[in-house]
Amino acid sequence: MSQPSTAATAPQDKVIIERTYRARVEDLWELWTTKDGFESWWGPDGFRVDVHALDARVGGALEYDMIADAPAMIAAMQQMNQPLSHATRGHFGALRPHTHLTLVHVIDFIPGVEPYDSTIEVDFHTAGDHARMVVTLHPHRDPHFTRMSIEGFTSQLTKLERRFGAAT
Amino acid sequence: MQTMAFEALADPTRRRIVEALRLGERPVGELVDLAGVHQSGVSRHLRILLESGFVSMRPDGQRRLYALRPEPFRELDAWLAGYRRLWEARLDRFGDALERRQKHRAPSKQESPR
Repeated sequence: MSQPSTAATAPQDKVIIERTYRARVEDLWELWTTKDGFESWWGPDGFRVDVHALDARVGGALEYDMIADAPAMIAAMQQMNQPLSHATRGHFGALRPHTHLTLVHVIDFIPGVEPYDSTIEVDFHTAGDHARMVVTLHPHRDPHFTRMSIEGFTSQLTKLERRFGAAT
Repeated sequence: MQTMAFEALADPTRRRIVEALRLGERPVGELVDLAGVHQSGVSRHLRILLESGFVSMRPDGQRRLYALRPEPFRELDAWLAGYRRLWEARLDRFGDALERRQKHRAPSKQESPR
């Protein structure tokens, strides 16, 4: 149902991921701004999230536990001596209903790394009977994902390829 | 490595030096002209680019010639590809969740999403 397209600009800049869905913008918006919507998809493969607070207002809190729940991921986390669950917090930095939102996560759980903010910008557009979503990331401010990718989370590629392979 | 690389490239003057070096090996004097860098600051920027591995230097008589090294750019590209894949997978889950919601809603309305 989605048509992926991806563009990355220069390394010092940002990564933009764009998807188009046959859906209403309002439906996409709910997946970012409601507890059950957010819980239904957020997190890397093999994890689920339990949301404790999601206040979709400017400055509103976002607090959740990210929990390894797939057997393979549980085993991998145990092997790396990583906890199976960690509390994550952040807030909504900007919010224009059905148009734009900014999620700011506080990354304060990485040993040896000073706490920093990780910002995700999301823009929503209506295009006929489709909704287009543009996610803008700033990887150079996000050493966390360096660590994540090193630790094997890129196995998600398999899932991606399977999906794209089946889509046509 | 990536954090250091991004820091090295975060400076606009250093990015201009890198852009100028895309044209090929250059002595300091030409970099000053091509990149619009002040002579006084170019040595410091070149030292940072050398230390972070983005450029190499070789003496040529009285001159020092600087050139780009491809390795760190390849590393950055590979790292960005991994980062992007994380998010592609995450948005796959988003698409799946969206589809589930629409199916859940559809039986009562018997209509496809707009």
